[in-house]
Amino acid sequence: MALNALEQEALAEIDLESTRPFRLADHLGLVRAVSVVAVISLWEYFGRDVNPLFLSYPSAIARAFVQLLGAGQFMQQARGSLEVYLAGLSAALVVGIVLGLLMGRYRLAEYLLDPFVYALDATPRVALIPILLLWFGLGAPAKIAVVFLSGVFPVLMNTFSGVRTVSAGLVEVGRAYGAREGKIFTKIIVPASLPFIMAGVRLAVGRALIGIITAEMFAAVTGLGALLVRYSSALATDKFFVPVIFLALLGVILTRAVELLEKRFAPWKETERAL
Amino acid sequence: MPAADERIIAELGLRRERARSVCDYPNAIRAFSVICFLIVWEIYGRRVDPLLLTYPTAVVQAAWSLIKSGELPRQMLESLTTLAVAFGASVVLGVGFGLVMGRSRVVSAALEPHINALYATPQVALTPLLMMWFGLGFTVKAVVIFLFAFFPILINTASGVRNVSSSTIEVGRAYMASRRQILLKVVFPAAVPFIMAGIRLAIGRAIVGMVVAELFTAITGLGAMLTLYGNLFETAKMFVIVIVLGILGVVLVRATQTLERRMARWKETERAIE
Repeated sequence: MALNALEQEALAEIDLESTRPFRLADHLGLVRAVSVVAVISLWEYFGRDVNPLFLSYPSAIARAFVQLLGAGQFMQQARGSLEVYLAGLSAALVVGIVLGLLMGRYRLAEYLLDPFVYALDATPRVALIPILLLWFGLGAPAKIAVVFLSGVFPVLMNTFSGVRTVSAGLVEVGRAYGAREGKIFTKIIVPASLPFIMAGVRLAVGRALIGIITAEMFAAVTGLGALLVRYSSALATDKFFVPVIFLALLGVILTRAVELLEKRFAPWKETERAL
Repeated sequence: MPAADERIIAELGLRRERARSVCDYPNAIRAFSVICFLIVWEIYGRRVDPLLLTYPTAVVQAAWSLIKSGELPRQMLESLTTLAVAFGASVVLGVGFGLVMGRSRVVSAALEPHINALYATPQVALTPLLMMWFGLGFTVKAVVIFLFAFFPILINTASGVRNVSSSTIEVGRAYMASRRQILLKVVFPAAVPFIMAGIRLAIGRAIVGMVVAELFTAITGLGAMLTLYGNLFETAKMFVIVIVLGILGVVLVRATQTLERRMARWKETERAIE
């Protein structure tokens, strides 16, 4: 609330702050902070007593974090994972958007590809991991395939949905001005469906991350997932939490990045449809 | 165009407004597409090394043999019981906690940081830790499925509770309803559409959780069969399991959607000005 000088002076005189009783609901930030600190302290206190094979505690985890980040092997594996992830994700975005646009615009494409898209979408992609590993071996191609399959469906289906929602009036205006198919696509359909595409990208980023982790944990050769399996097999619980925390942070950063992109590229989101 | 319209147009002798196009028969096109795919797969699949790729007839044979031997029904029952128990627990706890979190800002603020942290971690990554704590049996699978399904339900329930229009609650208060009555008779029914949406999201994730848990613990269940047959290079049987999982996914999500439609009839599709 913007208060002018007179109102501020009046408030200062009345001195409302001191007359209100302390209500917890007014200090939510404090509640959050206390909650986090309390849990970490309890974890630290009780974690030290537990057998270190089963549970580690925050200070040990922090120590392992510093140690692993400096040692180089962790960052190497992380970089490997990220490369595969980005490769698979970009392929998924390109194919998903192109196919979504085609399927949305041309009924024939939709009916031809429809059954396969819905069939593959219904199968949990993690169930395809053993087959993909069988076909592509334990290396990068299999993981790229898993990331691709995990990420392509949200993008495809959201793009499809977005293209379908483009109001026919817009396309008709384009036709009335004699625009050819290519121009209609680039200047009308793509910008109008951009909010949906960005929503699909946001979903795909999360699912692709789950895909790469599961694939790496299953193949257990290289990458962050493999480190997870290796540290847990060696019962090095403190080191185990380092990739977990790293992945959580990565997930949050990626989702935030996409949200920012969404806000920048699709500010004309139709929040409500008029008649 | 529907048959009745076609008949009327024929009777009146009107001309068709646009030419007949192949797009008028979507199901025919879909069927054609699937059949072409199956034929190509059959021809190509027979020529490739049988360890890597199978073909549709082999998959059908493998399915038949798995059903006859009782292996498939047994493992399916195993998987489904674990899924049912864990999903039920996650619904009960998720809705319960969600109601409390939605109603009380303090509780919500206290629990939020931890829930967001756990939700942000890919639950897959926690599986080795859970395997260490709970061993390899029913418990670890149930816990994994629970973790996968719990958060969407919790977050959606809390969101639904927060979205209950305050005028509805005020009516309750005006009629001197107690806190418990408001919670059970006003807030909970109003939040049901959101809860059902959360359950719909959660069931898909629960199936993924089930497959993940079984892939890694690899003793019983459909996912375990996947790992086993993968190691044995029995590609046909692997395809059978993948198809079964796909069908399971479709059936469960459709069932939840029908339930959602029935239970959320009073969903507010647009909010009037509060």
